[in-house]
Amino acid sequence: MSKFSDGMRTLTGGRGLSQYSMIIALVAIILVFEIWTGGYTLDPTNVINMVQQYSYILILAIGMVMLIIAGHIDLSVGSVAAFVGIVVAQSMAVWHLPAGLAMLLGLVVGALVGAWQGFWVAYVRVPAFIVTLAGQLIFRGANQVVGNSTAVPTPDSYNWIGNGFLPDFGPDFGYSNPTLILGLVVIAALIWKEVHDRRKRVRMGASPQPVWVSVVRLVLLCGITIFATFLFATGRVGTSFPIVGIIAGVLILVYSFVTSSTVFGRHIYAVGGNASAAVLSGVKSRGVNFLLMMNMSILAAVAGMVFVGNAQASGPFDGTGWELDAIAAVFVGGAAIFGGVGTVAGSIIGAFVMAFLANGLSLLGLDASWVSIIRGLVLLAAVAFDVYNKTQGRPSIIGLLLGGFRRKKPNITEEAIQAQPQGLEKPSGDQVDKVPLS
Amino acid sequence: MAATDDRLEPVVSMRAISKSFGHVQALRNVDLDLYRGEVVALVGDNGAGKSTLVKVLAGVHAPDAGTITFRGRIVSIPSPAASRELGIATVFQDLALCDNLDVVANLFLGHELGRGSLDEETMEQRSWELLRRLSARIPSVRMPVATLSGGQRQTVAIARSLIGDPTVVILDEPTAALGVAQTAEVLNLIELLRDQGHCVVLISHNMADVQAVADRVIVLRLGRVNGRFRAPELSYEDIIASITGVLNLEEGTPEDDPRERLPDGPARPLRSPGGSTPAGDAEGGAR
Repeated sequence: MSKFSDGMRTLTGGRGLSQYSMIIALVAIILVFEIWTGGYTLDPTNVINMVQQYSYILILAIGMVMLIIAGHIDLSVGSVAAFVGIVVAQSMAVWHLPAGLAMLLGLVVGALVGAWQGFWVAYVRVPAFIVTLAGQLIFRGANQVVGNSTAVPTPDSYNWIGNGFLPDFGPDFGYSNPTLILGLVVIAALIWKEVHDRRKRVRMGASPQPVWVSVVRLVLLCGITIFATFLFATGRVGTSFPIVGIIAGVLILVYSFVTSSTVFGRHIYAVGGNASAAVLSGVKSRGVNFLLMMNMSILAAVAGMVFVGNAQASGPFDGTGWELDAIAAVFVGGAAIFGGVGTVAGSIIGAFVMAFLANGLSLLGLDASWVSIIRGLVLLAAVAFDVYNKTQGRPSIIGLLLGGFRRKKPNITEEAIQAQPQGLEKPSGDQVDKVPLS
Repeated sequence: MAATDDRLEPVVSMRAISKSFGHVQALRNVDLDLYRGEVVALVGDNGAGKSTLVKVLAGVHAPDAGTITFRGRIVSIPSPAASRELGIATVFQDLALCDNLDVVANLFLGHELGRGSLDEETMEQRSWELLRRLSARIPSVRMPVATLSGGQRQTVAIARSLIGDPTVVILDEPTAALGVAQTAEVLNLIELLRDQGHCVVLISHNMADVQAVADRVIVLRLGRVNGRFRAPELSYEDIIASITGVLNLEEGTPEDDPRERLPDGPARPLRSPGGSTPAGDAEGGAR
């Protein structure tokens, strides 16, 4: 093994470069469109527009991946989002609720809708597919009942959650100050996390990775952050980092933590991996299913409210096809159709892939119908590639992505095997049988 | 002599357990006593009631009639969680593990450590300790269980049942679908558990495995106990005859009489003559 590929393996956690195939695909898509559109894809105005326009996919993908990990699905997110949107818009138009209260009302309505659907899924045990198919019809109808099938405009005091920016302040350098500060905070957090992880590995008695690995990784991540900061900070005058970006970012962080490092997150994977084993181990699978359905509807409510804010009105056809956007993002991002596998981070990358595709193709002036066809083909290709990889006995991208984004990576070396207590009867040559993840 | 009492007193005693599913009478008046530091094999044909009996202990099925006494107290076991709380751990066939999770996550599933966020460090350390205690050869506790071999998976499943230090460990067909080396690995593990003072209940169709590790063999046939055998006198022919119903030894077999089990006092090894270390007084007293 050459020195370079050796180093590459260390850098990527002992798995080689292929674990980042979806990220590489994303970068490739961005670069290709950047060239085709003559540099317009990564124009600050376009990037800011994209964040505002497609943030709903990010928010929905978070809830959807958790449901899909647990072996369920939600087809009603678009209708629920539209229903919550119209309730919020009407509450401000008819009852003259202040914007903050209206948002709170939206979250409560989302929670109630989620509790309704969760009840049928978790306690009556109707498959989520059916419950949410019914929900899709019910809440689309409810949207039109509440809004009298018309569009209801929303006031500016509310719209900032959809189209607002971080407020500017301080001296004028030609850049947006809050965006610069945000970028610095992110870089500081990245460095702190790297140091923290290294310390943790030392505490656990594992040998920390070589320093240069940490440095290269940090340089890459910080480079991306600086580039993004620059993009958002140099937009038109009056723009900076969008509020929806902050909302989505906070949700991504919170839910990444929940799924990877809490008991609840662990139980989601367990229920999706082997429901009967989970139940026999004392996992309260009903509670998990109920909370997941409820959580999905609350996130759909957030997505709906953000979308209404950006559109400045809630209409009867908001959110059509959103469930498919979210589900596509989750599967492109490496979740398994039968549950048990997937990550929030992977789904976010999947959402970016779908968003950049849609945006780039429409920038090229392609007809919406062709955009739809191409996105469909990409979804099919991404999942087919994953299935093919699995049947070849290689771990799926899904698994690789999963491993890549977990905090600790298994370090399977000869020494690790030697360090194990030797079984008395076990022949020493007996190595671990590798079976493909299935 | 606390140690002697510990071994003379059954940990679990089931009396006149009956259970039926619709018209099928799965268990009729079954009596069963379990003691510390022994391996009890439950054998019998398909549909003999082995799994049902074990599921009654595991809290999956509630018996229609009969009593279960645990450490001298009459208990009811309404749920798997209740069974675990009593100190009865069950390793179900095929249902034991989540393939998508790593070894640590599987070991602590349902009993995760840490408030709020998971305490991965402690769980990983304890996992290593546990696996070392079982002399398990697992290359990394951070591997997904799907990538382990059958024997390693069974080891993980058994190791998981030991979290919470149960008194009784029930293994449902632990060696089914395992190769020769892997079977030996699991059988070693069973002996290790017995030597550490657990009571192991083993369900198996494999008579060679049963003869290799069992101290007592209980034969079930059509929901009844059809024979009880003790280790030194185990005869393959008798067990088969009992399973098939040719032989009926149920009446007058004294196997569950504690005085009968320890005729020479506490010094008598509980293991079969071919075994290695006697689980004697010192070990029992230290517990």
